[in-house]
Amino acid sequence: MSGIMDPEDPAPEMTLAAEYVLGTLDLAEMEAAGRRMEADPGFAAEVAAWENRFYPLASLAPAVAPPATLWARIEDSTGGATADRAAATPVERRPANDNRLLWWRATALAGLAIAAGLAAFIALRPPPQPVMAVLTPYGTPTPVLVAVAGPNGTILVRPTAAIKIASDRDLELWALAAGATRPAPLGVIPAQGTLVPPGVAAGTLLLVSLEPKGGSPTGQPTGPVLYAGKFKLFD
Amino acid sequence: MPPPLVQEFSHNMPSEAEIASGTPDAALIARCAEGDRAAFRALYAAWSARLHGVALRITRDSGLAADATHDAFVQVWQQAAKFDAAKGEAGAWLTALARYRALDLVRRRGREVLGHEAAEEPDQGPDPLKQLMAAADGGALHRCLERLSAERRRLVVMAFVEGLSHSQLSARLNMPIGTVKSWIRRSLLGLKECLAP
Repeated sequence: MSGIMDPEDPAPEMTLAAEYVLGTLDLAEMEAAGRRMEADPGFAAEVAAWENRFYPLASLAPAVAPPATLWARIEDSTGGATADRAAATPVERRPANDNRLLWWRATALAGLAIAAGLAAFIALRPPPQPVMAVLTPYGTPTPVLVAVAGPNGTILVRPTAAIKIASDRDLELWALAAGATRPAPLGVIPAQGTLVPPGVAAGTLLLVSLEPKGGSPTGQPTGPVLYAGKFKLFD
Repeated sequence: MPPPLVQEFSHNMPSEAEIASGTPDAALIARCAEGDRAAFRALYAAWSARLHGVALRITRDSGLAADATHDAFVQVWQQAAKFDAAKGEAGAWLTALARYRALDLVRRRGREVLGHEAAEEPDQGPDPLKQLMAAADGGALHRCLERLSAERRRLVVMAFVEGLSHSQLSARLNMPIGTVKSWIRRSLLGLKECLAP
């Protein structure tokens, strides 16, 4: 704990709040500060002020998509799985034994051969994980992205092979709902792929744009759209 | 995909007003407080990778980072009513939840003894402080960090980003713990004064 009488520390309360936010306290000190936040609104306000002061530093940690299973865990922990399923998209309302087959089509922007862009995949009896094949033009191993809905409506998006981009760039995923004019951001796509929580309806256009590291700074695509495909049921 | 659509996205830059209305994180949190699951899902979609990235940098363990991200989102759902947009940014609140969970988990695991492990990892990117300049609100913090000596700046940034305790910083930088504490405290006083409105 901060030394109350420390002549070098004229504002021990401020220092404790700042050190709590900075993360330099040991476990016992952190817990004591956490309890104090509950009981002392003035201290809590000082902590909140430091959280805002230091917040820009958080951008120094690169965004990394959490494991694909995390949303389901959070749903379980917040008692929301039932509610979330009730709000599910038409894709999820299908009987569980339906083959959930999706068309997926990837096109590369201007200059990339359209012929390279058709990827059809076949999912068989989805739960728990769909078995699928992505068919790409033979002999031209152009990486494409596959998006497939899991049994609970989460969507796995992953490249079929490494997509080479500059080290100061990221690929970012967007959802353009049918009839919408502005795409909603779904986050940066790490090299190993990402998981999108339920909520993307069939008929939505998925787009992937090239953005500065960490994703678009504006909340809308700023770079070229490199991949696009409609998320839909395979009839 | 019809090419005109693609062109439209790559050339239409959104206006300031559109940018402002396009990131309603505070509104999403308010809707979580009312039990809106769709808002919670949207918040997860927007923030999970950033919070997990922050937690991963602190824990350096994907399992612990996922646990911290899980706990943070559970807290978001349960404590959304506590968020007060008047007191600060939604991102700062969300990031703080993830950082406290990551710090708690990593301290419990006793990373104290492993304080040396990350020292060999090369710095990522050219200059992290330059990135701050580019960040929307990072300019003021950057300017104030610039006023600190390079060594003290490094100490503060390393503490925040990597979540190192006083004793870990002492071991990592081969400095007496009293010096670490005193440098950090003086840096904090300086930052507060410099950042005062």
